[in-house]
Amino acid sequence: MTEIMARSQVGRSLPRVEGRAKVTGRAEYVHNLRLPGMLYAKVFRSDIPHGLIKRIDTGAARALDGVHRVITGEDIRALIPNPYYGPAFHDQPILALDKVRHIGEPVAAVLATDPHIAEEGVQLITAEYEELPAVFDEVAAMTSSAVVHDVLKPAGTFPDLKHLEGKRGTNVALDFHLRRGNVETGFAEADQIFEHEFRTQQVMHTPLEPMVSVAEPHDNALTIYTSSQSPSFVRIEIARLLGWPENRVRVKVPYLGGGFGAKLYIKLEALVAALALLARRPVKLALTMEEQFYTITKHPATLRIKSGVTKDGRIIARRCDVWWNGGAYADIGPRVTQKSGFTAAGPYDIEHVQIESYAVYTNRPPAGALRGFGIPQLVWAYESHTDLIARALKLDPLEFRRKNILREGKPQATGTIMRDAALDLVLERLALRMNWRQPFDHGTGTLRRGRGIAIGFKASIAPTTSVAIVNLYADGSCGLYISTVDMGQGSDTAMAQIAAEVLDIAAESVRVVHPDTDVTPYDMATLGSRSTYHMGHAVRLAAEDARGKIAALAKELGLPQGSNVPLPELFRRKYGMQAGNIVGVASFVPPYSSPNHETGLTPNATPYWMTGGTGAEVEVDTETGHVRVLRLINIADAGTPINPRIVETQLSGGAIMQLGFTLTEEMVFRDGQLTNASLADYKIPGFLDLPAIMENEAVAAVEHSGPFGAKGVGESATFGVSPAIANAIDDAVGVRLTALPLKPEAILRALHAAKGTPLPEGR
Amino acid sequence: VVVAEVDEYLGGEEADRIVRPFELAMPRSLVEAIDLLDHDDPAVRPIGGGTALMLMMKSGLFRPQRLVSLRAIESRFKTITTDSDGTLHIGAMTTLATIERSSEIRRHAPVITRTMRRLANARVRNVATIGGHLAHADPHLDLPPLLVALGARLTIAGRDGERTIPVEDLFRGYFETTLRHNELIAEVTVPPQETQRSFYLKWTARSADDWPALGIAVALDEHHARIVVGAATEKPTRLAAAEAALGSARDEKALRRAGDAAADEAVLVSDQHGSAVYKKELLRVLVRRALEGALQQ
Repeated sequence: MTEIMARSQVGRSLPRVEGRAKVTGRAEYVHNLRLPGMLYAKVFRSDIPHGLIKRIDTGAARALDGVHRVITGEDIRALIPNPYYGPAFHDQPILALDKVRHIGEPVAAVLATDPHIAEEGVQLITAEYEELPAVFDEVAAMTSSAVVHDVLKPAGTFPDLKHLEGKRGTNVALDFHLRRGNVETGFAEADQIFEHEFRTQQVMHTPLEPMVSVAEPHDNALTIYTSSQSPSFVRIEIARLLGWPENRVRVKVPYLGGGFGAKLYIKLEALVAALALLARRPVKLALTMEEQFYTITKHPATLRIKSGVTKDGRIIARRCDVWWNGGAYADIGPRVTQKSGFTAAGPYDIEHVQIESYAVYTNRPPAGALRGFGIPQLVWAYESHTDLIARALKLDPLEFRRKNILREGKPQATGTIMRDAALDLVLERLALRMNWRQPFDHGTGTLRRGRGIAIGFKASIAPTTSVAIVNLYADGSCGLYISTVDMGQGSDTAMAQIAAEVLDIAAESVRVVHPDTDVTPYDMATLGSRSTYHMGHAVRLAAEDARGKIAALAKELGLPQGSNVPLPELFRRKYGMQAGNIVGVASFVPPYSSPNHETGLTPNATPYWMTGGTGAEVEVDTETGHVRVLRLINIADAGTPINPRIVETQLSGGAIMQLGFTLTEEMVFRDGQLTNASLADYKIPGFLDLPAIMENEAVAAVEHSGPFGAKGVGESATFGVSPAIANAIDDAVGVRLTALPLKPEAILRALHAAKGTPLPEGR
Repeated sequence: VVVAEVDEYLGGEEADRIVRPFELAMPRSLVEAIDLLDHDDPAVRPIGGGTALMLMMKSGLFRPQRLVSLRAIESRFKTITTDSDGTLHIGAMTTLATIERSSEIRRHAPVITRTMRRLANARVRNVATIGGHLAHADPHLDLPPLLVALGARLTIAGRDGERTIPVEDLFRGYFETTLRHNELIAEVTVPPQETQRSFYLKWTARSADDWPALGIAVALDEHHARIVVGAATEKPTRLAAAEAALGSARDEKALRRAGDAAADEAVLVSDQHGSAVYKKELLRVLVRRALEGALQQ
């Protein structure tokens, strides 16, 4: 147990434990899995946004040589009487039933011995629909006569959704309200009122490994191999759909080629499970990159903010109205509306706050969790708004934020007291790194420069549970059994470091056993930057449990306390040979109080806060509208990092991802049809798009409630990127964009409009 | 002629295949290739590097019956040679990466070398061929407007022998060429550039590695100028009014005049890169900048 006696495993920049396997092509992915007798599925999808299914003609596909079977929603209904799934609402059919609600919705599946025959079979299917009026815009959907779901079907597990049960004639899946003080009183007391509206576009996670799942039927049981961030949820939900006990469904997850929230809850798992049970053979379904655009996306949103400000620059009242476009199925959207919704007023100390946040169904592809869980949309609005107010009041944007920032010990809008949020520290480090006090060269001629800052914060999703098992084998080596999914964020490495720290061994020697629900214990999911904190605590406690059991074994063997006999020797004395295990087990669930339904207030909204700030320096070409980001500085409070190098790469990765959502990425719809569902026309940033200078810093901070002072960091660098760049553009050329992405055409149009010579509208 | 089932050719297991099986012919000569292509079936097509064709096949836009690979034809179609007067001969099967690294090209037409840096990406350049790049007739490509500006010509081989045409006569319209189905581009000839100065300006509206929203190629000497726009038009288009507006003047005012004339004359297409209205403003600016770029050479 003592090959390396490091003093501290936590705080080391240990290279990723799986790095070598990945770069040498040896890491395991579901895409590479082939089972004997396996069939390949391909999906026939709706080509209309909303309509009643009149007829599905599968005859030609069934007649195709090599096609095993063609399955429709009705075939699935025969197997599973109520085949609707979802984490918040049971609203999504495994294959469309009775009607289709978005373009690209799965309507039928073709099973064949070869994926190309299956694909050819898909081309031979035809469907007839009776088209219904469709609605695509989240604000229009609030009052539209086009209703996406006839009746709301919240999952029974959430008490706060109970009031929505059976509701008809509405597209509002969830409404969240927060009332702190009296916002109207605040506006009346204010010297000036500011009101702005902002919008964000629909974008996609773009994991480079598209979704893929395999289901293998056994006698009375089912194994699902899937590229999923939530194996425990998959097991529970598949068992619920089938009416089976959990122990008959086994879910295994190897490495993921990226997730970012796309691979949560049920994606392909219910479909492959049903197909495999109907075909009585293993079935694999691997999506193409193109199909991912129809599967899960990030919420487009419309955000209105109104603030009352005093002469001396104090924000005393703020009202936020947010409409989240959830697309045709709720997925986790209602949780975005609520769990992120309550921070919509920003990280500021405001006496009167009112928030109205709505999850809205439309006939677009569904939206769910995407790195930031709604926070980047909110920060986009409130930090653009903050800058606009500062400019109007002729206050320095940094000073204005300093004056209003929410400090340690003050209540956030929900009433929860801020602890270990390091908001002011992040702001100060940002100011320092940006040399904010120094004069800034704004450029001349057609190249103008500007700089901007933005800061945001996020609560952790709560309450959620993690369970860990530390297994010490007879030779003293250690296996760590967890259902946290390493999708590229480095969790295997961090968890090995935590276990090693407690057990006083080298992190490299810890074997992390990947999620397998027959082997690894429950974890809510790998999402919302929760693993370091929640699973980190569970691993720490499980390792401490193992240590306690070692001490008990030593005592049982009559050894004096602190005798320090190596574990293999203890096992030999106990069992007479190399044999036995010490199994440490622990679960962790942080305390939490759910918000009051009427007021949205709670004394404990979150176990911890995540803070992220970004500073941008940009150069704008005033003749073309082209923007170059010259410098991007990302500062976050990650508590005390378990692995500083991985924290830094999480910051740069998050910021670059949000850079794409800020400047180039946009799902373009025309009449409900997505016109750019491929990486040829949906452009993520390449190396040449990266800022010339990028700096990433985790501030010196401690999360006192976290494992070894740590907390999550996967999303924090996404918060401030979009508004920091928009604020910098305004600083450079004096125009303000209020809709993402910040396209050069929009900038040039705004520049022409500002000169009084607007370009003609239209295409 | 080697004809193989592509299953065997790709050598993978069935799940690795990204397209439906088809027949792949590997002729050893250009004449054999033309012979194999002499067919009315649109599902019989030549393939060079395959970068464009494979995308069309993966998306189901094109389902081949037989592909005639040009990879094994005579090696002279993969080489670059120079005449004593500086005329460049580039075989149609020369990859873009070979062109990028060619010292002959750098010496005689350095503008081509510079253009390669931001043309697609290294993976595409390593396999894409100049013949395919032209014959695909995608307006969003970089070399077509540049080759038109440089006055390049094509040798086209067919059943009845060879013919030569200026590059601009290759393009009939959007993804349309004047090639007959049994004809192949054999060679690109770039005339000596002598005192001519040239520049290619690629402008992307989204990521840097995107296809151009606008590509402007200019080539000019003391008295003449060729100004060509690509990407924003249905096919690479010479801007005669801009050339006339510039005349033999090379001062700032003349450059602006040329830009304004270009914006007035060009028929621009709205697409995902931007509206025609926006591209008109871009064209005004970028023609001027491309001319400035050429004058700085």
